[in-house]
Amino acid sequence: MTTAVRARYVEHVMGMPISLALRGRHADDAAAREAWAEALAVLREVDRVFSTYRDDSFVSRLGRGELTVEECPPEVAEVLELGERARRESSGAFDVRRRGVLDPSGVVKGWAVERAAAPLRALPGTDVCLSAGGDMVCHVAGPDSPEWRIGIENPHNPTALLATVPVRNGAVATSGLAHRPGHVVDARTGRVPDGVASVTVVGADLTWADIDATAAFALGADAARWLAGRPGRTALVVWADGRTELVG
Amino acid sequence: MRRIVLWLLSTLSAVVLLFGYHTSTSGPAATAQAPVGASLATTSTTTTSGGTDPGTDSSSGSSGSTASSSPTPAASSTVTGDVAQTRWGPVQVQITTDGSGTITDVEVLQYPSGNHEDDQINAYALPQLVQATLDAQSAEIDMVSGATVTSEGYLQSLQSALDQAKA
Repeated sequence: MTTAVRARYVEHVMGMPISLALRGRHADDAAAREAWAEALAVLREVDRVFSTYRDDSFVSRLGRGELTVEECPPEVAEVLELGERARRESSGAFDVRRRGVLDPSGVVKGWAVERAAAPLRALPGTDVCLSAGGDMVCHVAGPDSPEWRIGIENPHNPTALLATVPVRNGAVATSGLAHRPGHVVDARTGRVPDGVASVTVVGADLTWADIDATAAFALGADAARWLAGRPGRTALVVWADGRTELVG
Repeated sequence: MRRIVLWLLSTLSAVVLLFGYHTSTSGPAATAQAPVGASLATTSTTTTSGGTDPGTDSSSGSSGSTASSSPTPAASSTVTGDVAQTRWGPVQVQITTDGSGTITDVEVLQYPSGNHEDDQINAYALPQLVQATLDAQSAEIDMVSGATVTSEGYLQSLQSALDQAKA
């Protein structure tokens, strides 16, 4: 299906490219630009609270013991609770604390983009696809809107696509080493997982698609088996030897 | 949930086959298709065309010996499927057809979660593997999902090419 993208927007926030595609009634007008500005403001605020690269963020101060969770904005407790649930459900492979260091980045990204998409979703008659560094939220205005076509990058050749997936309302997240070697480790061992090159998860919301992609990747050889026990998601696992496995 | 929707769709297509079998004259292909419908276990047909009662048991469905008996089907009919136990809970559908076998209404009597909206939202397509490695331009792609792309790596990324090409 041909999907006529009417307007695209790109900004860099949190060290990541934020790409937006809009179609429909408010794809390219003042309302679109206002909603886009609101979305970026949400991401910048999240960065201010959660960044581990900023010494003065709430999370950095919480990690150093200078603040309690109660003294932080309520979103911090919300994110830590998500992280705790992810830790339990991944048997500890996903953990926002590693060797005593607090780093909730693995939860924050998807959760933040999901929040940032809210003002865009509110644009009447407008389809939205909002991506932050390769993880995205998709929304269409109505049952007659065409789907968004998402290409899944080949982890062994990031200039090529390995698969495509049509998504109307939902989220797509990919975790792997293609651009940031050593970015994800198994929290139980502190080691970079081997055997798996990337994991892509398609699901209802980006908060959990992102967590599941990261957790599955951290589980290494167990990635596909673990994902099979997560109903309501479909997934593509690319193994280190180039084999692919669909789950769902 | 995607599976459930697929299951419903496959049920529908099986029922379509079943009615196709119903109104067609009996041939080897139709006979071969009958057990597909039968395996989906329709239980109560309020009105039928006078052919075989599809799928109440395997003997009537598989023989095909009486299927050609009625070339002029009766009026509308409603078929209620058995409750199927799926991984996510019970599912049951009811299908109404007009005299020619065209489906005029499908009602889902039981959903696993009891939340229709959830079921709709949770119907996700599986990623479709592309045969040869495609570039984003040739694949009519709106966005690229990949392992965290940083601002430093962005200019070399497929996403960047997309953003520029369609800006």
